[in-house]
Amino acid sequence: MDKILEIQNLSVNYFSDKKIIRAVNDLSLDLKAGGVLGLVGETGAGKTTLALSILNMIRGPQGKIIAGTIKFSGKNILRMSKQELRNMRGKDVAMIFQDPMTALNPVISIGEQIAETVFKHERVSRAEAWKKAETMLDTVGIPSDRAKEFPHQFSGGMKQRVVIALALACNPTILLADEPTTALDVTIQAQVLDLMRNLIRNNGTSVLFITHSLGLVAENCDEVATMYAGEIVEFGTIEQVFGKPLHPYTKGLFGSLPDLSENLKRLTPIPGLMPDPMSLPDGCYFSPRCPCKIDICDTKHPENINIEGHYVKCHLYSSDISIRNRI
Amino acid sequence: MRLPNRSENNAIRALKRTSHNFYQFWRRFSRNKLATISLIFVLVIALIAIFADLFYSYDFVTANSLENSFLKPGESGIVYFQDKEINHKFILGADNYGRDILGRIIHGGRVSMLIGFVAVAFALTSGGILGAIAGYKGGWIDTLIMRLTDILLSIPMIMLSIAIVAALGNSFINLLVAISISMAPRYVRIVRASIITIKDYEYIEAARCIGASDMRIVFQHILINITAPIIVQSTLNIGAAILNTSFLSFLGLGILPPKPEWGNMLSEAREFIQYAPHTLFAPGIAILLTVLAYNLMGDGLRDALDPKLKR
Amino acid sequence: MSKDTPLMHVTSLKKYFHTSHGSLHAVDDISFDIKKGKTLGMVGESGCGKSTTGRLLVRLHEATSGSIIYDGIEITKADKHEITKLRTRMQMIFQDPYSSINPRHTVAHIIGEPLKIHKKVNNSQEYEERVRNLMSTVGLADRLYDAYPHELDGGRRQRIGIARALALDPEFIVCDEPVSALDVSIQAQILNLLMDLQDKLSLTYLFITHDLSVVKHISDDIVIMYMGQIVEIGPTEVLFKKPLHPYGRALLLAIPIPKLNVKKERIILKSEVTSPINPKPGCRFAPRCQYVKPECLISDPILREMSPGRFVACF
Repeated sequence: MDKILEIQNLSVNYFSDKKIIRAVNDLSLDLKAGGVLGLVGETGAGKTTLALSILNMIRGPQGKIIAGTIKFSGKNILRMSKQELRNMRGKDVAMIFQDPMTALNPVISIGEQIAETVFKHERVSRAEAWKKAETMLDTVGIPSDRAKEFPHQFSGGMKQRVVIALALACNPTILLADEPTTALDVTIQAQVLDLMRNLIRNNGTSVLFITHSLGLVAENCDEVATMYAGEIVEFGTIEQVFGKPLHPYTKGLFGSLPDLSENLKRLTPIPGLMPDPMSLPDGCYFSPRCPCKIDICDTKHPENINIEGHYVKCHLYSSDISIRNRI
Repeated sequence: MRLPNRSENNAIRALKRTSHNFYQFWRRFSRNKLATISLIFVLVIALIAIFADLFYSYDFVTANSLENSFLKPGESGIVYFQDKEINHKFILGADNYGRDILGRIIHGGRVSMLIGFVAVAFALTSGGILGAIAGYKGGWIDTLIMRLTDILLSIPMIMLSIAIVAALGNSFINLLVAISISMAPRYVRIVRASIITIKDYEYIEAARCIGASDMRIVFQHILINITAPIIVQSTLNIGAAILNTSFLSFLGLGILPPKPEWGNMLSEAREFIQYAPHTLFAPGIAILLTVLAYNLMGDGLRDALDPKLKR
Repeated sequence: MSKDTPLMHVTSLKKYFHTSHGSLHAVDDISFDIKKGKTLGMVGESGCGKSTTGRLLVRLHEATSGSIIYDGIEITKADKHEITKLRTRMQMIFQDPYSSINPRHTVAHIIGEPLKIHKKVNNSQEYEERVRNLMSTVGLADRLYDAYPHELDGGRRQRIGIARALALDPEFIVCDEPVSALDVSIQAQILNLLMDLQDKLSLTYLFITHDLSVVKHISDDIVIMYMGQIVEIGPTEVLFKKPLHPYGRALLLAIPIPKLNVKKERIILKSEVTSPINPKPGCRFAPRCQYVKPECLISDPILREMSPGRFVACF
């Protein structure tokens, strides 16, 4: 399958008070056309930074993309002109932000917000743009006669649906969904995701689905990548990663989930905390917390190892014989 | 577990914490060069004001010396003072009565700043208490206090001052009262708004849950969190109070000549603006620089104390 | 108190808020029991009244009507003096570790404040000892004694909240979504801590959450709430295996399962949640229920006992 988005060796730093915060570190990731890729990680892993980088929205002087390329259909986003970027955002690459409460402009009606983006990107008249807005609202289950109402008149779930309608209005090629349902109740979440799945399938949109919930990934994605301290530590299809998680962090994540089917009395959390992005450890970033670590983990950063399309950054799977002997 | 000398330890730790907090604050504050300069300026003039007598005695600056009227800055003249004949250099010149302008400025500054601080302190206490009650209790008492505040706010400070002075006479105290009263409503509003914001935070609920009394909650939990906006507002208010003092004195409602005060100095100098402009500029610039310094310092404080502002 | 008498006995509890639009029925006539040493999980989505219920039990809100009997004492009618005494027996752990502790107080101050208020210590030596003990009980490093909350992450802050709740040696703790704001791996750490503390200190918990997977681990019995009313009660195992109420079933099935090839019967609820202001008669879940019958819209279903300890409110 074609790769619609190719991120190679991306590194993003933030600067604060003369300190350097290494948010994204030498990250490489590909999104297949028409696929749904789940990006799993906890707070501080750098997921939102990654999403913003794809849209080239990292603002200096606090933030800077210091290395790497992001290719969208072959073209490097990080080298695009302002005009090209403006055209791309909203039309080719759309983003759903985490908090529906603040993602919508409170003083503009929901219909107007959708119509505006259609008008800007497609060559249609204002009247046609408004019609499209109404259609989108219907599609997400909001009666179009409410199009003139304002965000505060809707509940959280409905607002998020408006945000989704907004993102999909111009039929984007890529959808970046940053924790789109975290702020919602579980039954509303199910409703909203169901809706999204239909829309995506019908339009053939490629999706980067950022979440901290492995459950959501299992239900909605084809491929999954685990992110830790600014890099991808494991990547593969759902079958590969859920069937046999390789990286100790991924295994740790599964272990700390309360399981509905089994009757474990105690959970097995991952001890410790994510490393401070201002002072990342030498070697493997996960080694201080890793239950399986060997001495090389403290000194040498692991390479990305490919096991039949299932990628993992961990010395334990190294094909290097000298390392395997130390396990 | 080793438990060393209790009180010593506690005191040392508290000291360390305080100095650490201060150090953090200073780092943020000093980044604003303008604010730092203003702070130094404010401290310097405060010191000069306190030790005014070391520079010029009060009697000296209020005694007339007509021979020396309108001497230009830098000129010297003979002054007969306390049965002595002094050859005095008038650094900033002399006013229409031959008095040393610089000396009058220094003593005048004393008055202005004294009123500034005391009026603000007064307004802060009274306004703050009322605002705290209004914010914390809510209900009818809140409405009552706020409507009173609204009434006070609708009376221009000038009119209030005229009324007080007309009724009670021109004096330092009455000026103080007038300015305090017109400033108190600002504090009522600020404190009330801060309390309302914080009142529903979970840690206040938690405090109630562990059995804290209302008093404890207000003093130990709420007030400690709203000091930042109050400090900032206060520095700005000191500047405003100084300005108001000058304004009222200029109109003849506060400190009257021969007592030196920047406002009345300006007033007296009006007639001579073409003939001896230095008599006007000196007090004018003094007011300008002082109020500006307080304002810039207040801005710097706000930036340094606001936790939400990105560094 | 005999072994079978529940520690917390709630009957017909109601809490209505008066708003400009009408009367908001936050908690509408609920009744349940909590047995000593056990955990009752209270589940429901936002707006169902579970947080309000928790606060009613510790008297942070005043009930509109109904009775809450704690160890023989009627909480709704207790006077100020009695409440202060009760505070040493009932405590609460709050949801948001970022806003439930005072940012200007040190860790020690926050944890030790209850001791000062209720004069449980005689001198500063005792105070420090007890605070340090509490810190180690909840797993907070000793060096954090003088730290400020903003220097710590969510997990540690929540531990401060737990230590504070334990300071007075309570018997009963209301845990209001204590892990919802935390990352998954930290959630697990805190849940384990809460369970260990329950064993060690014989605590009774009311565990409020919207996350069914979390509640399964920690609760003995579960109450499911919807729009201010209880729709189902039952022992955890039984309820999870077979929820009876349509809402309970929908809730359970809506949870994303982190496993492959799980065939789930999908119940996607229709329409939106109705308003809790001036509710109409009839089952509140009816507009969204797939099994709705005509009678559901006319009369309120009552909670009936299907088997010992198992209640459902549905026709």
